[in-house]
This record gives sequence, C-alpha cells and structure tokens, in this order.
Amino acid sequence: MKTFILAGLMAGLTALPAAADYTIIAPAAPGGGWDQTARTMQTVMQGEGISPSVQVQNVPGAGGTIGLAQFASQSAGNPDALIVGGFVMVGAILTNASPVTLADVTPIARLTGEYEAIVVPAASPIADINGLIEALKADPGAVSWAGGSAGGTDHIAVGLLAKAAGVDPTKINYIAYSGGGEALAAILGNQVTAGVSSVGEFEEQVKAGTLRLLAVTAPERIKGVDAPTLKESGLDVQLQNWRMVAAAPGLTDEQKAKVSADIEKMVKSEAWQKQLADKGWSDTYLAGPAFQEQLAADIASTEAVLKAIGLVK
Amino acid sequence: MGAFEFLIQGLGTALQPAMLLYALIGVTLGTAVGVLPGIGPALTVALLLPVTYHLDPAGSLIMFCGIYYGGMYGGSTTSILLNTPGESSSIITALEGNKMARAGRGGPALATAAIGSFIAGLIATLFLAFLAPWIVKAALAFGPREYFALMVLAFVTVSSAFGDSTLRGLTSLFIGLGLACVGIDQLTGQARMAFGVPELLDGVEVTTLAVAMFAVGEALAIAGLGSRAADEVIPVKGSVWMTAKDWSRSWKPWLRGTAIGFPIGAMPAGGAEIGTFLSYATEKRLTKHPEEFGKGAIEGVAGPEAANNASAAGTLVPLLTLGLPTSATAAIMLAGFQQFGLQPGPLLFATNPTLVWGLIASLLIANAMLLILNLPLIGLWVRLLTIPRHWLYAGILLFATLGTIGANPSTFELGMLLGFGLLGYVMRLFGYPIAPVVVGLILGPMAEQQLRRALSISQGDWMTLVQSPIAAILLGIAALAFIVPLILRQSGKGEVLSQLAGDED
Amino acid sequence: MSQADQNNQRRADRAALVIALGLALFGAVLLWDSARLADLGGYSGVGPASMPRIIGLALLGLAIWTAAEAWRGDFPERPEQHAGPVLWVVGGLVAQLLLLNVAGFSIATGLLFGLTARGFGKRNLALTVGIGIVLSFFVWAVFSQLLSLHLPAGPLERVFFPKG
Repeated sequence: MKTFILAGLMAGLTALPAAADYTIIAPAAPGGGWDQTARTMQTVMQGEGISPSVQVQNVPGAGGTIGLAQFASQSAGNPDALIVGGFVMVGAILTNASPVTLADVTPIARLTGEYEAIVVPAASPIADINGLIEALKADPGAVSWAGGSAGGTDHIAVGLLAKAAGVDPTKINYIAYSGGGEALAAILGNQVTAGVSSVGEFEEQVKAGTLRLLAVTAPERIKGVDAPTLKESGLDVQLQNWRMVAAAPGLTDEQKAKVSADIEKMVKSEAWQKQLADKGWSDTYLAGPAFQEQLAADIASTEAVLKAIGLVK
Repeated sequence: MGAFEFLIQGLGTALQPAMLLYALIGVTLGTAVGVLPGIGPALTVALLLPVTYHLDPAGSLIMFCGIYYGGMYGGSTTSILLNTPGESSSIITALEGNKMARAGRGGPALATAAIGSFIAGLIATLFLAFLAPWIVKAALAFGPREYFALMVLAFVTVSSAFGDSTLRGLTSLFIGLGLACVGIDQLTGQARMAFGVPELLDGVEVTTLAVAMFAVGEALAIAGLGSRAADEVIPVKGSVWMTAKDWSRSWKPWLRGTAIGFPIGAMPAGGAEIGTFLSYATEKRLTKHPEEFGKGAIEGVAGPEAANNASAAGTLVPLLTLGLPTSATAAIMLAGFQQFGLQPGPLLFATNPTLVWGLIASLLIANAMLLILNLPLIGLWVRLLTIPRHWLYAGILLFATLGTIGANPSTFELGMLLGFGLLGYVMRLFGYPIAPVVVGLILGPMAEQQLRRALSISQGDWMTLVQSPIAAILLGIAALAFIVPLILRQSGKGEVLSQLAGDED
Repeated sequence: MSQADQNNQRRADRAALVIALGLALFGAVLLWDSARLADLGGYSGVGPASMPRIIGLALLGLAIWTAAEAWRGDFPERPEQHAGPVLWVVGGLVAQLLLLNVAGFSIATGLLFGLTARGFGKRNLALTVGIGIVLSFFVWAVFSQLLSLHLPAGPLERVFFPKG
C-alpha cells in the first residue's frame, strides 16, 4: 500500500488531471493504431483547450467490433462520448457478422490514413510489380503473401490485386500474421514471396535497401515515395487504410454540429499537424456528406472483395 | 565516436541528479501500476506516457525507461507473495516462488528475482548495445517452421516437468489447449467456440485465466479448509536475505536464464513466456536438488525471472535495429520514441546515435534503480504475509479483480475470472496441476499458427518442417527430450524421474 | 463438496466420474463446433477445424482414461472441504460482478472484500464491508484519478469526484 501512496503523490506532483469531458473509446489494446490515435486526440484536445480533460478507454477485441457494440449500446445520446475506428473495422464487422455496424453510430470525420505498399525482399528475383503479377498468374499458390490479420486491410489489398489481375481471389496464398512487426520479420527473413502493409511500416526498410517497394495503392504517386501506383501498372486498385472518429448514436443535430466543430478545430490545430508529422501519419481529414459517401463506397467494395476471397458468405 | 564513448556520454547525462529523480519516479510509477495482475508493461507505459510529455526529451526518455522496466518488474513480486501473476511472463515464477514464500522463504525468493532481473537486464542491455545487428540477423532466420519446432520443444520439455500423474498432467494441458481454440482463428478469421458471444471472439485472456486459476482458485481452496486455515500463520524463517547457499544456487540459473531469454525475446514471434518455460524446464533438469522442485526451489525462481527480464531487453533488438514492434509493449515503446520524432529502423544507430545510446544508458540506470529501490523493500513485502488470512485473501481478491477490471472493465471478463476460479478450485481439489492449463493456452495457438503458416508456404508439403537445419535440430532435441526419459524409465531408473517430476501445484 | 466418497478407496470415485463426463462434454463441444467451420485450409491442408478436432478427440480419450481410473478408485485422497466458506467467497465475487456497473467500483469491491473476509472467518460484516469500501475507494481514487486507469464509477465515487 505504501508504494501506492508514494506513486499517488508522485503522479500528483507531475500532473493533476481533473475529470474527463470527452471520453474516447479506443476499441483496441494499447499500442495499436487506434489507441495511438485516441491518445493523440487526447493530448491535442487538452492542449488546445478544446476539452479540459479527455479520458481514453481501451475496449479491445475482434477488430474493434466489441468496442463498437459496447459504445453503441452504452453511449446512446451521450454527446461527450467518442469512438475511434477505421477501415479495419469495416472488414471486421463483415467477417464477424457483427450485429452492430457503423450505421449504429454517428461517424464524424476521417482523420488520417495510410496507403498500402507491396514489397518483396531485396534478395527476391522479382524486380517490379509486373514480375510479381506474372508469377501470381503462373502459379498463385507459389506466391505467398505476408500481411496482417485475415480479412484485414492487407488481405483485402491482396484480394483486390488478384481480382484486378484476373486471378481467382480464392486462390491467393495469404499468410496472416498477428501484427505488422511479425509480418515484416517474415518478409525480411525471406520466408514469403511478397509482403503487404502500410507504406510507413516499410519505409525505413526500403530506405535501407533491405526491401524492394514494388507499388502503392494510392490514387496517385505519394510524395517522397519512389514507387508507381497500381493504377499506373494497369491494375485498378485503390485502397486507403483510414482512421476515423465517430460519436454516439441518437444525437440531436446541434450536438452533432458541436462534436464536428470540436473535431475540426482539433484537426486544424498546429499541435495536431505536428503530431501527425512526428508519427508519419498523413492528414486525410474528410467530414460531412463527402465522408459519408466515401464510407458507403468503402463498405460496398470491402463486402464485395471479402465475398470474393471467401471470408464472408 | 565509437560505441563506448556514446555510452559513456549517455551515462553522463543520465546520472545527473534531476535525471536520477525522473528515473526514480518512473520506476516507482511503473512498479505501482505493473504489480496489478492483467496490467502488464504495455498498458502501464500507455497509461503513463502522457506524464512524460511534459518533460524535456532526456528526462522523458529516462522516465519512460523507468516505467517500462518497473512495469516488467512489478509482476514478479505479486507472483511470489500472493500467487497472483502480474503478467503472463511471471506465471512460471509463481510456481516455485510462492512455494518458497509459503515456506517462510519469501525474502530470498524476492531477492533472487530482483538480483536475477538486474543481472539479466544488465547483460541483456549490453548485448543489445553491442551485438544487436548480429543477433537480429540470426533471429530473422526463424520462419514459421523454426518457430513450430521451438514450440514443439517447449511443449515436450515443459510437459515432462509437470505433475506426478501423466493422466492429470495431460488432462490439464488439453483443457488449456481446448480453451485456446476459443476465439477468431488468426489465419482465416473464422470464429471458433464463440457461440455467437462477441466477448469470446478474442479468446481467453492469458492473464485472466492465470489470475483466476492461481489466485481465485487458491483462495477458494484455502477457504474450503474451514477453520483449520484461519489458525495457520506463515512463518518467516531465517533471514530475509539470501544465504551463501542461495547465492551459489542462483548464479548459474541467472546466467542460463539470460542466455535463454534474450535470444527468444529478440525473435519477432518468440514471446517472453516461452523463455520462462524453457528456463524452468532447464533448471529442473540440471538442479542438484530435484526433490525441492514443486516445493520451492530457488533455481525455479532465479532462472525464469532472469529469462523474462532478458527477453524484455531482447524485444528491443528488432525494435531498434529494424523498427519492428514485435509485441504490444514494443509497439507502445515505438509510440514513446515517436514523441521525439525518432523513427526506429535499420538506420537509427547510424543516424541518431546520441538518442539510441541515451536510451540504452537510461535502461541501465532504470535497471540499477529498480534493484536499489526493491532490495530494501523486500523486508516490508515479506511482512505482508503475516497479515491475518482473512485480510490477506480479501486483499488478494480485491487486487486480482482490480487488475482485471482495469484492463477491461466488463462484467463478462469478471464472469470468466469467477468461472475459471471455480475450475481452478475443482482441479486443485482433485490433484490436477494448474500450470499446464496456462501453458496450453499460451503455446497452443502459437504452435498451431506457425504450423499452418509453414504448411501454407510449402503448399501442404509436411517435409518442409525438417528441411531447415535449425528446425531439424530443434525437433531432434525435442525428440531426445521425449525419448530419453522413457528409456531411463525402462532401465529401472524410474524412481529418480518420478522424484524429478514433483507436484508443482 | 466431495467429502462423501472418501471412505472407501477401492470404491468407484463418483466425483471423478463426473470429471470424466465433463471432459467428454468439452471434447464433444469442440468436435461439434469444429464441424460447422468452413474448411478454409487453403494451401496448407490444415484448416481452422483441424486443431479443435484433434484436441476434442484427445479430450474424449482422456475422459475414458479418467473414467477408468475413477472406476478403480485410483484418484488421490482429497482434503475435506467446507462448503460454507467457499460459498461466501463465491458470493463476494458474484456480488462484485453484478454491482460493478451499478454501484461503482468501491461499493462492489468493498462487498467482495467483506464477504471474502467472512469466508475466512471474520464475522463482523459491517466492519469488513466498511473497511473494504474505504480501501476500494482509496484504490479507485489513486488509479482512476491520478493514473487515469478507467475504473467504473458509481454514486459514491461521484460524490467526491462529480465528473467521474
């Protein structure tokens, strides 16, 4: 008990947070992208005086669907409750047949996003994206892909790529890893043919010359990244792994407007921009009807590709 | 400047009085939150990261390392004293450590854990500093089939060390393996054994199971003894310090634990628990006091504790050299680096040596600070056990549930804690060993996934499993570890072996 | 809960037979659940259903083995158990579970504390629950207010920290 008292006193010396105004649910374990997004929001909102005190609560599990379900049922009508989510959630809702979907909350805005990159180990005989596509067409089973969890963004990217290249998506040999780190290790260790993950995940390795970047899933070339888009290579694939913030269901229009305004203020702040730059996240802020449209389109295309891969019936 | 100059310079910064104060605050906060069962170093660092935002980079780096090592350290104290593992990598510590505490030797158990952690942390941090680029190359040679072989080895060595009844040991293991099937299948995203319950999709949390089986199950079993239990007081025998004999029995396990834990921690999919399992099994085989295993053998605390701390430093190898966050803890560490615009990766040692060496110096300082802070506290901790049983167990349950609620405030998780607690109680009653359940839950999914990955890559060719030299050697060792005891038993040395396999529960 | 079967070692151990039944049930559930999984083994040939099937079969085998040992009365002797104290402790855990989100952390955990102490022979519930609530409230305050760990707040917590 004495340690607790000591710890309490010491923490008290460093910072004395008051009770929370906004509560942000990070539907993931600490350390992941959503958790970091929520905690960055916390820092910026507090620092900019948008909210005197923000609390972050982790509700991990099942691609965010557990947090989402809890949020939808417990926070209905509460204008101070927010949840962080993203593209992975779209896929998880479908693969887990989650009873609660994004239609049950109030999506406010897309905050950041990353494009996917396709790489091969430096020692690989495959020189460019066409070489990889040729190999895939010749024998889809012989091309093993390392990426994140089954049905996640990376898996969807490979599915879309196969489809665009005219290869049966059910025939792809996708090896799911639990985190970006493990998948990256498998690629670096030459255990698999190719790897898929966000551009930032591979950046340092590409710079050091241990990985060869073949293509990215952006609509146009990304500044500072020396790789063609899939579109340039004649494959109609575009994919952004975005993160968003949503508010509780059942809010009035004024409440929605207030939350949207707070988020906009946060995104426009210098502190937020600095955090994004530090973390290597790009600003893909999108709100209002444009975001709603984008969301609907993403859900439709994700459902189509997950069905094609065979993960959703 | 060479590596040494950078390190000396880093140490110079870290040894300033203000920096030492930050380190002290860091290890204290880290230990305070880290002792909570279910709240490991990852969550500890995540919770306390905002505290470090306000400091200058050097101070915040030092505090951050203090929190990290403090969080790692916190788990073992509760394992030893309260039989409540603070995190999955200190589960094995509870086996012998708590038995020692029961026998009135809690002091030496805590001391060997603290000193072992310090020595392992010191050696491993130095390895990290000077050998990281070579170690990471070796670690990357481990693909799915090599990991599978490593898991098989862990299974064989660990299960042969459990319990006096083959039937009950195997039953416990398979209950754990069965529970491991619950949740989303990693490789195909399909839900198994979830029965439409969303909370089950992520499977059974290792710390929930461990805390339930060890702490709750035991509280129920002791309560079930009725009034007999109330009178029994735990004696504190002899000195709270380690005797010369304790030292001579501890130093080899410390070094062996470090040697096992560090490389496994450096492997991207190794996991700190595997190192502790292998270290425990090794000590049990090599000890000159096999009869003490299961009743409080100091080697069984010294080895795994060193292994778990060494693997914590090992985790930093792929993080610093490749930018690979291979665990939740590493991922949150990454977030900590990014506060300074520091992007770990293959070029980090070359482009930003001052910060890297500052970090390594901070780790050394935090490590030493923990030892200095914790050794004097041991006397205080041990006295915790002299609290009357009704207060002690009420406190243990408060504490066990606090960790579970803090990590995931859901009624369902508490329900699981109760359910598994009852399971642990019944298993205790019928003489089933507890640890294999937890081992099965941890190793089962790892082995399954790596096997399926290996076979996917080879397109279904099982020969792939022995076509890599590393995998073949590991499987060979596993086969020997399985067969040799059988032969020994045949040739009439059975008694020695049955002594070797004491009941650890 | 199982003191009755102790008297005769050579007699069939009924409680152990129940364990065998439980193991068989667990195995059967694994097999039943794996049967409805789509076979997505892909190139590996080992699908999501393979491992549960093997474990399920192994558990059925262990159930038979357990039943055989139980039949011969080979299980070790069990210490005599008192149901009362165990029920107090279980009651404490159930009370905490049910009240956590209604009454908040301190009151729910205070009850757990008091009921556990009762199970271990401390009879004065007013005293133990009281101490438990004060202690839990202190823990709540330190962890939720100073270390920003999220712990459920109830009426008691809101009196002192209105914003939770």
